[in-house]
Amino acid sequence: MLLEEHLLVRKIDMGTVIDHIPPWRAGNVLRMLDLEKIKHSEISLIVLHNVPSRRYGRKDIVKIYRHYISHEEADIICLVYPTITVNYIRDWMVEKYKPRVPEKIIGRFRCPDPTCISNSPREPIKSRFRVMEKLRAVQCEYCDTLVEFDRIADLVPRKEGSLDV
Amino acid sequence: MLEQFTEPLRYEGLRGRDIVSAKDLSRGDLEAIFRAADTYRENPSIYRNLLRRKTIALIFVEPSTRTFHSFERASRILGCDVIGIRDPSMTSIAKGESLHDTIRMIESYGADLIVLRHPSKGAALYAAEISNVPVINGGDGGREHPTQAILDLYTIHRKRGSIDGLRIGFLGDLRFSRTVPSLSYALTLYSDIEIYYIAPPILQIRREVEIYLEERGVKYEKISEIESLAKILRNIDVLYVTRLQKERFPDPSEYERLRGVYTVTPEILRIARRDIGIMHPLPRVDELSPELDGTPNAWYFDQARWGIDVRVALLSLVLG
Repeated sequence: MLLEEHLLVRKIDMGTVIDHIPPWRAGNVLRMLDLEKIKHSEISLIVLHNVPSRRYGRKDIVKIYRHYISHEEADIICLVYPTITVNYIRDWMVEKYKPRVPEKIIGRFRCPDPTCISNSPREPIKSRFRVMEKLRAVQCEYCDTLVEFDRIADLVPRKEGSLDV
Repeated sequence: MLEQFTEPLRYEGLRGRDIVSAKDLSRGDLEAIFRAADTYRENPSIYRNLLRRKTIALIFVEPSTRTFHSFERASRILGCDVIGIRDPSMTSIAKGESLHDTIRMIESYGADLIVLRHPSKGAALYAAEISNVPVINGGDGGREHPTQAILDLYTIHRKRGSIDGLRIGFLGDLRFSRTVPSLSYALTLYSDIEIYYIAPPILQIRREVEIYLEERGVKYEKISEIESLAKILRNIDVLYVTRLQKERFPDPSEYERLRGVYTVTPEILRIARRDIGIMHPLPRVDELSPELDGTPNAWYFDQARWGIDVRVALLSLVLG
């Protein structure tokens, strides 16, 4: 940990640390996590933008105190930003999560094609994408539309009254 | 030889299956459908009332002439009851009923199979996930039209004797077409296929189709220069023409701008191979000159006519 980062935020004893996020992309990462469930809780969220990094020059960091993101969520954010590392902290002990490439991503973001059935407000349906790792894209299982990993964060629906990240 | 046409073709591979995408089909499935269609053509009487007491639901939430009528006719030949929706404005869909509830409702009325046409991409897959009975995709928005691909292949098989080694050019609105992706996917099941996509860049084939072909090592080329067309025409066995999909253009002025930019006339027969087959899923607008109709190269009316044979074959194998 560089001195500047050390001065900005102290270590946490429990929770999740999402490190090595590309600079100024922490907002996108937060939008991909289902944080609605912790909105009214005692959980604290610490976001650092553009801190110095030995490996990458600059980076963002997100620390979620007293909350563990799911492995599925960790897999998705690592897929979109491969530099990301996810650490689970339990009683000061750091457990580094090894992300896996998910086969499918269900209900996390919408399909960009407005004519896709998964965008129909009348239907009880969740979006579903298969991951095409080599192409760095996902493909909608309903309409076949391809979405590059970089575009995924823009497709996370913003619910009314949701966390403004 | 005649002996093989004395009873309906048996094939287990399609029984009870959904036909949502041309990607779901194997070469064995297609060959079984072709054999069943040939059997029906040779001896229609053995298919009459083959599926008596079965009920087929035709849910058509988007305009259709050929697909609707050929499925309806095929169902009646097989002796099925036909229920369903033709004009959504006269049904609960106009009141805002979801596709989910429509499928549930039609199933509870005793449908043994559902044929669905719907304006939303992926509607057929979604319906198949809801339904307990097989769903056949009769066209889901601009995504796919697998039964059209089956009858397109059947036409090529009958006219040419074989599909392997086919060199085919697709001309027209490839971007919004649903028949071109379905036929392209199905062609990957055959060997030595060469595909030429002939369209201005704005109407070129969708990336997902290219990826599917690349993953399977199928040779294809995108042609946007009219100068290259003559060379291609000399080389291909089939020219498959599509109309501009007016209803799918997000910007109507774009449609007006592109309307009429391509028309296939008898002139092309001077350049092309003598035995080139010209295909079209119909309806046509400006893209296919009526002067071609009388030529032996015009395959499109046979293509439409054989739609019934293929759908008799398909229904008999899925519900048989």
